[in-house]
Amino acid sequence: MMPLKYPQMELAIRKTLPNLGVELVDVDGFTCCPDPIYFKARDKIKWLTIAARNLAIAEEMGLDVITMCSGCISTLKEAKYTLDEDPEAKAEVNRRLKKINKEYRGTAQINHAVVLIRDTLGLDVVKKSIKRPLDGVTVAIHYGCHILKPSQIMHVDDADYPSILDDFVAAMGATPLDHREKLLCCGKGCMDEELPLEMTETIFASIEESGADCMGLVCPTCFSSFDLGQILISRKKGKTYNIPVIYLFQLLGLAQGLEPEQVGLHTHRIKADKVLEKIKESAKA
Amino acid sequence: MAKEKIKVDFRFREKLNKIQGGKHHNYCYQCSACVAVCPAARFTEEFNPRVILLKTLLGMEEALTGEDSPIWLCTNCYSCYERCPQDVRPIEVIIALKNMAVQRQKAPASLAKLSENIAQTGVSVTVTSAVSRRRQELGLPPLKTIPIDELKEILEDPQSVTKDDK
Ligand code: SF4
Ligand code: SF4
Repeated sequence: MMPLKYPQMELAIRKTLPNLGVELVDVDGFTCCPDPIYFKARDKIKWLTIAARNLAIAEEMGLDVITMCSGCISTLKEAKYTLDEDPEAKAEVNRRLKKINKEYRGTAQINHAVVLIRDTLGLDVVKKSIKRPLDGVTVAIHYGCHILKPSQIMHVDDADYPSILDDFVAAMGATPLDHREKLLCCGKGCMDEELPLEMTETIFASIEESGADCMGLVCPTCFSSFDLGQILISRKKGKTYNIPVIYLFQLLGLAQGLEPEQVGLHTHRIKADKVLEKIKESAKA
Repeated sequence: MAKEKIKVDFRFREKLNKIQGGKHHNYCYQCSACVAVCPAARFTEEFNPRVILLKTLLGMEEALTGEDSPIWLCTNCYSCYERCPQDVRPIEVIIALKNMAVQRQKAPASLAKLSENIAQTGVSVTVTSAVSRRRQELGLPPLKTIPIDELKEILEDPQSVTKDDK
């Protein structure tokens, strides 16, 4: 989804990870993971098959998979968990993969870039890459469901009291701000018109109350709920929030000294001018 | 009030058992822990994962996989999976029910739209010239081609959702 709908996020990843010493390899032959919601609802075995094909490609190359997206990590990790746990599902998936001379074995590990940073690189590497610390910038983190739950599969953090994204933001010099609805689902996966809007609105009200300068997240689906979502809410409910929504690797890019356009911030509906102003100010001070 | 006999449709439950993730419905002891953390239940009375599990245990096929089923209101947040003390994985049971609704051709029309791209092209979003232009403007490399033949091959039926149908 990111390369097509939100290429600015891919851009931010490509610009920031090399500064942390990560070499990115583009792999041939991958399809979408696929998404953990709609295609899975249609046919779970086929959903597992597509995911297993992607994992089989990584296995053949002896690579682990790093995702930039909560939906991708959710699908790939759950597929791995299910196939490793359920021999019948694995047999059916491999029967299908055999037709294209592929096999899922379960040898590749899957992680989100934020986990790689915390566990393999270490947050000190992030701190060292910072040229323009985001002093005074307050960020309301929206964790998003899929990177955390179910924790028995995701193994990322405590699902009720997570800190991984707060710590990441703090390493950039910004201040993560708590708010009441920090862990509420964005509602995007609900196939209803009204419900998702009520959920995002609840989150916006909570963030507004916290007084944060912006919202920070790592999931493109949540991003669309909140960036485009604010336009929808002002259209349908007449309430305007104006909370900039920033993918955390864009924020990292800013902290590493990149210009807003270099991380694609200009493509967002809700402009981040106030945040950028603050960053400029603190750089002068 | 006259006592009504409760009939359980075990045939439906057996069918559900055979769908990946469906079997765990048997472990539900109706404690409502899932309801307490469910955002869909918080925002609408029409949706309640414990009630969905109860109807599943009773085998109420039409209520669960018919056109008016509430299962499509689930936000896919996995909170119930996280919380359930019985490892029911309610969301996965709901997914299995959705698979059954798809087989009965009772799923909402929007689902076909939202999932068809993957089946046809291997990516979830249609690749338009606007997409390519935007990538170019941002200085990103062109998209890699997707091996659609391989995709078609592995997605080919026999329909895999229930093993009965094979
Ligand atoms: S699904 Fe789990 S949490 Fe929900 S009522 Fe049943 S046993 Fe309790
Ligand atoms: S996954 Fe669905 S049923 Fe489970 S808690 Fe979330 S909305 Fe409720």
